[in-house]
Amino acid sequence: MDFLLDEKLNIVKRSVRSFCEREIQPIARDIDHEARFPWEVVEKMGKLGYFGIQAPQELGGAGMDTVTYCIIIEEISRVCSGLGLCVTVHNSVGVYPLVAFGNDEQKKRWVTPLARGEKIGAFCLTEPNIGSDAAGVESTAIRNGDHYIVNANKVLITNGGVADICLIFTKTDPGAGHKGLSVIVVERGTPGFEIGDLEDLSGNRANPVSSIRLNDCKVPVGNLLGKEGMGMKIGLAALDTGRIGIAAQALGIAQAAMEEGIKYSKERRQFNVPICQHQSVQNMIADMATQVESARLMVYRAAAKRDRGLPFSKESAMAKLYASEVAGKVTDMALQIHGGYGYIKTYPIERFYRDARVTRIYEGTSEIHRVVIARSILDEYK
Amino acid sequence: MSLKIIICIKSVVTSAPEGRVVRTMDNCILNPFDRPAIEMALRLRETEGGTVTAVTMGPETGTIALYEALSMGVDRAVLVTDRAFAGSDTLATSKTLSAAINRLKPFDLVIFGARSSDSDTGQVGPQTAVFLDLPVITGVKEITRKGDELIVERHIDEYSEKYSLRLPGVVAVHPRAMQPRDAALSMVEKAFKKDPIEKVGLKDLGISSQGLGESGSPTRLVSMSKIKRKKKCEFINGSPEEQADELVKRIKSGGYLS
Ligand SMILES: Cc1cc2nc3c(=O)[nH]c(=O)nc-3n(C[C@H](O)[C@H](O)[C@H](O)COP(=O)(O)OP(=O)(O)OC[C@H]3O[C@@H](n4cnc5c(N)ncnc54)[C@H](O)[C@@H]3O)c2cc1C
Repeated sequence: MDFLLDEKLNIVKRSVRSFCEREIQPIARDIDHEARFPWEVVEKMGKLGYFGIQAPQELGGAGMDTVTYCIIIEEISRVCSGLGLCVTVHNSVGVYPLVAFGNDEQKKRWVTPLARGEKIGAFCLTEPNIGSDAAGVESTAIRNGDHYIVNANKVLITNGGVADICLIFTKTDPGAGHKGLSVIVVERGTPGFEIGDLEDLSGNRANPVSSIRLNDCKVPVGNLLGKEGMGMKIGLAALDTGRIGIAAQALGIAQAAMEEGIKYSKERRQFNVPICQHQSVQNMIADMATQVESARLMVYRAAAKRDRGLPFSKESAMAKLYASEVAGKVTDMALQIHGGYGYIKTYPIERFYRDARVTRIYEGTSEIHRVVIARSILDEYK
Repeated sequence: MSLKIIICIKSVVTSAPEGRVVRTMDNCILNPFDRPAIEMALRLRETEGGTVTAVTMGPETGTIALYEALSMGVDRAVLVTDRAFAGSDTLATSKTLSAAINRLKPFDLVIFGARSSDSDTGQVGPQTAVFLDLPVITGVKEITRKGDELIVERHIDEYSEKYSLRLPGVVAVHPRAMQPRDAALSMVEKAFKKDPIEKVGLKDLGISSQGLGESGSPTRLVSMSKIKRKKKCEFINGSPEEQADELVKRIKSGGYLS
């Protein structure tokens, strides 16, 4: 058992960090403020392979493992969580289901441009009336000869404003409950494909989260992923993987917040000493560091299990639950260390505090994760 | 003209707690001064064709530098390592490196970084050139080809010089010569997929251990300690304009602005 990063992981961590600090850090505050998707760095990230981290090299990806993937998401999110979100959603619930369930033709057509970052992917499950209860989606894809006619109203879609290739969760058999769920790939530009206004988000504002509406979109049957009725299976597989990415995102935010808290505690003086010499502040520093480190171990372990081909559903749910809650606590403590200055936008901690909040909501809320984990534990102790 | 380029690089330590240097995979990185040198090698390969081979001399942790170089895009990596080389100073290092470079003959150009961030001498490049009996140009900002020769631009103090270099030759690259590229993820993956690091020991070099390692090193580090600098706080008086002028003057005379 080895808890240390090997040479490769060290190199990846350093090179992603150096890229992010050089290219993203200087604009991170502005793109949050302006809610702007920074194409200029996204293009560079694409050339470096950030949009095809785990896609096979034959398909234009980097072919890396999940632990490496986590380190990359962690490092991007440490500097800009909105871009971390973009990259992890694109890779884990955009590209991965296509690699795992697509046929050769679909992989060539979609995975390669996605992996090269030439196209951006999105995963469209949530609807106005459907969130946690995914099986209830109301959108439909009705087969008509060699086409489906797709009608869908998808909301809160990460990357929605820039998405080229969308995985749509929809019912091909509306009467059949979750067995009627299927995933159909719809490309932007298909007649009837409409991107809604960007959401005015609290955090992760560099990400163009929007609604996507499909009005009588005529989509070839060749765009069906897997078979009809496989929607639930594909969705669960995608989300198991996606959760590790969100956990890594939360970890990156927590790491960034902790670093800011520590830095500030050494600079700020009260009662004639730097505030880091006050015991209450030290307690927060100790708690932040301990929580970040334990979240990191859980994230890497879930990833390591996935890399070995072992079941990792429970571990990924635990890592996501824990890391997202740690991100909440650590950003809160780090903001507290900043005192009143933490509550104004001058210091980055204010942004991290907003960014962290949603990690407890998307790709399964904390409550739903507890349900999943408890179910799996109760099963084990039958 | 296709060029066979050798680039000499080093793994440096990023921290030496309590003045003790313990090299581990965690605290070693590719010498930052070698990055622009690797970049120069790769750009020459892109324009002229040819190959780039990275060579490092040192303990096992030297592989870090080699993997980073492979991740940037060099074709081949050689680790020169042997107990006999332990404790080498810059002279013994240069001697060993020159033997390793001679083993890679024929080559056209040997490239070095300006210096290393952990020992900071800048001696290894020029000394190795002497052992190889080849011309050397330091402070190199740019290389272009003209016929069989390379036109080498060198920056020193406030001047730029141009040399024409007949090959084979040696250059040491200016730290700000060019922005080194980021490693593409697929290149990092490829660097580790094949097992590309060739190890070369004393026997392979076919030289005697005389004049190598610690016994072959005329200089010896006696001790190392952190320099304690006194911090000084000064107040600049006058009107805001006068204060600003004075501040700019001091920043300029301190060499912080050019
Ligand atoms: C920034 C952002 C990006 C997003 N990106 C995407 C995306 O790319 N694709 C996509 O499809 N969706 C996306 N979402 C949607 C997100 O996944 C959902 O918001 C989330 O799944 C929760 O669904 P809901 O908002 O409808 O909440 P609801 O399901 O209505 O839940 C409301 C509350 O009730 C609780 N609750 C519900 N059911 C139970 C239960 N059985 N037991 C206990 N508690 C329960 C929840 O935990 C929560 O506290 C995104 C959301 C945001 C904010």
